Amino acid sequence: MTARALSAAVPRRRRAGGGVWSVYRAERRKLLAQLSTRALALVCLLGPFAFGAILSQQGGVPADTLLGVWVHTSGYAVPLVVLGFAGYLGFPVLAGALAGDLFSSEDRYGTWKTVLTRSRSRGDVFAGKVLAAATFSLALVALAALSSIAAGLLLTGDQPLVGLSGTVIPSGECLLLVLASWLLSMLPVLAFTSLAVLFSVATRNGIMGVLGPVLVGLVMQLLALIGSGTWVHMLLVASAFDDWHGLLSAHKFYGPLIIGSCVCVVWVWACLGASWLILRGRDFAGTPVARRPGWVVPVRAVLGSAALIVVLGAASNWGPVAITKGRLEASIAPAFNDLTLLQQERLGRIVPKGTKLNDRTSCHRRAGASQGPGDDWSCTMTVVTPLPGANPLQLTAVTYDVSVKSNGCYKAQAPPSFVGQQMMSDAHGHSIVNPLFTIYGCFDTTAAATACAEAQNCGGAAARPSTSSPTSRARRQTPSTSSKRTTGPGRAETPAQRKAERAAGPVVMREINEAEGREEREAEKPVEEAEAAPPKVGR
Amino acid sequence: MATVIASGLTKRFETTCAVDGVDLVVDEGEVRGLLGPNGAGKTTLLRMLLGLVRPDAGTIELFGRTPHGSDRLILDGVAGFVEDPSFYPYLSGRANLEVLAELDGGGSQACIDEVLEQVELAGRGGDRVGGYSSGMRQRLGIAAALMRAPRLLLLDEPTAGLDPAGVRFVGGLVRRLSADGVAVLLSSHQIGEIEGVCDSFIMLSRGRVVWEGTGGQMRAQAPPSAYRILTSDDARALALAADKLGVQAEPSPSGGLIVEVEDGALDRFVLALGRSDVAIRRLELPVSPLESMFFALTDQPQDDPIVVPELAQSPRPSAGP
Repeated sequence: MTARALSAAVPRRRRAGGGVWSVYRAERRKLLAQLSTRALALVCLLGPFAFGAILSQQGGVPADTLLGVWVHTSGYAVPLVVLGFAGYLGFPVLAGALAGDLFSSEDRYGTWKTVLTRSRSRGDVFAGKVLAAATFSLALVALAALSSIAAGLLLTGDQPLVGLSGTVIPSGECLLLVLASWLLSMLPVLAFTSLAVLFSVATRNGIMGVLGPVLVGLVMQLLALIGSGTWVHMLLVASAFDDWHGLLSAHKFYGPLIIGSCVCVVWVWACLGASWLILRGRDFAGTPVARRPGWVVPVRAVLGSAALIVVLGAASNWGPVAITKGRLEASIAPAFNDLTLLQQERLGRIVPKGTKLNDRTSCHRRAGASQGPGDDWSCTMTVVTPLPGANPLQLTAVTYDVSVKSNGCYKAQAPPSFVGQQMMSDAHGHSIVNPLFTIYGCFDTTAAATACAEAQNCGGAAARPSTSSPTSRARRQTPSTSSKRTTGPGRAETPAQRKAERAAGPVVMREINEAEGREEREAEKPVEEAEAAPPKVGR
Repeated sequence: MATVIASGLTKRFETTCAVDGVDLVVDEGEVRGLLGPNGAGKTTLLRMLLGLVRPDAGTIELFGRTPHGSDRLILDGVAGFVEDPSFYPYLSGRANLEVLAELDGGGSQACIDEVLEQVELAGRGGDRVGGYSSGMRQRLGIAAALMRAPRLLLLDEPTAGLDPAGVRFVGGLVRRLSADGVAVLLSSHQIGEIEGVCDSFIMLSRGRVVWEGTGGQMRAQAPPSAYRILTSDDARALALAADKLGVQAEPSPSGGLIVEVEDGALDRFVLALGRSDVAIRRLELPVSPLESMFFALTDQPQDDPIVVPELAQSPRPSAGP
């Protein structure tokens, strides 16, 4: 066949969509043919099932991970725990493996000259490749999301989930929140994908392209552990993987989500912009002597990166302190309240809606000022023990060891001597998770300073009304209980107030006892389950 | 009509001037050989024409249009490769062509089978390129270029790695494309392999054009040929050569004599050896006239004059402006 014949054979009309789509289709074909892409898809598909199956076999729970104790209780905890793990390492690995070699592989195979001599501009090639990397990254995240939801529902079930402030989230709402949480993780995944593109274009090295985003992700995790300031922590794109925490709180907060999204957009713009500038100005003239492997450039890169990390570490104290005593107290007190009531319900006691513990919360760090992230926080909840027949004014102090992270999430654990073991028997004798054994919670680190000050002044239970949204308060309060609500000892600043408050008595015990009395009268028989139930708070 | 008009092309890499003020014209249907030793600037010149390298100075026109704007979009109808053709090793030959067809807009998918047959790879199209020999990759590169139904074909060392049959195949293909009006720029440092294919030649040395003209002009202007002769009595043969007009002989380090002869003088010298009872055991031409010229032109120090003064005055071939 001659050129003339070939000319006639090749249709001159091209498919609609332009150059970007042509490059996208070609890149899609290449990615689908690669073993690494198929392996990643397999991991995303089967990984959550393997995770769930291993948990089922072991019987233990990943208590150190947010919501980890609930993986055997609610199937919705599984995708959220998987999401938590993925945010630490999985997503950067995924982004690196997909996008980190997308550009550098053309250097490795010497195919730039093949690609760029096919009537496609560099802009088309760049946009098509980035589009392919982004869509594959998001597709794999979506696959992992659906797989982990399916794994949770199939292996555990669709029971309601205890959220991040102790409230129980109904099944249907859980599904929406889990989907929303995974959806929110896509923006930082795109940011890491852009970072991988930058590594790939700038280094022309597939290993650096794949490992670069992973290393950056790990460094970001380390930076999140140090310092108490908010400025550097907010600029870390890895922080955006935690944006979903606000959705699972009783009083939803969106500050970190908004800031994290803006940070991700800036990262995407900066990384892709820099990548494009490098690619556009590049000559494809083989490998010049200056770019041949040597030790000078790697050493410079390592030294520069180390210096940058040191500077960022030093700057991690800059900005307002996100973790404060007031914020922690305002968050953990209602969580403790809700989980105590949940425990009472599980034990078979009748708990009217909106019942509040008459507790007082005080948090502090064992060393240094009571602010900033750390594992040495301690929160003491002073509560009225709701034991039938006990002295109504008997106060008991429950002290939790609290580990607080810079993102405002914490895990609190109390000694089993008061709250009981991790597993307990419910009213029907079933072994269930003791809700009070581990308390997970998150608070808004971006909330206005005035709200924080108010919370600090109020403290504990008294802080709750000020941090509750009107709608959530309305939802939680019933007409029968809202009139009885105590203002809490924190607000009782005068002797008269204290006297009135004391007269009100331990509300939780009174409400529970009254409710049980009504139930007994209506049934005209004692509530055997309630009496046979294990002791209440503290067992 | 000129398909390629390049003027004053210059490209410098750090301290090295790879291409220095090169002018080039290739007409429709013309096959022009781009000759020069390694490092002469042939590949860089082709890269500039393909838009892979931005010239530091000079202009390029393809089909009467300036092809490389800020985004260096190469024009439709231009095809080829530089250095060795490169493909994705984890894909089959056919899949590689399908990817390239996607990049071309999808329209050339239909002719993949035909171009694979054309380059005699139809039976191996399903094999991964990672298992291809260099000759097969070369054929695949030609197939990838043919898919674009080119009007300008730029080929860099297209016969490298090919067996003699492959070299002949490429030559025949180029001639057929030329007959269809395709302009071909063919780079090589193996002058013998493209000697019979090209209509005209341009010779580069150290980034500069040192000669250009047709094959006939090159042969006419070539320096005297140097033969290597093994005889039964080299000393006597050396003495006979000294008496013959137009024959210069000297002992060869590897044995025998190196004899430079002008046209017709070789026959007289051979007959004289026979008459003197000196047997000729081997007579060989290690360097063809074109190669002799190639070495004469390209082995010169940069600032030295060219050995053959009239070559500098050589008229441009008819294809030129």
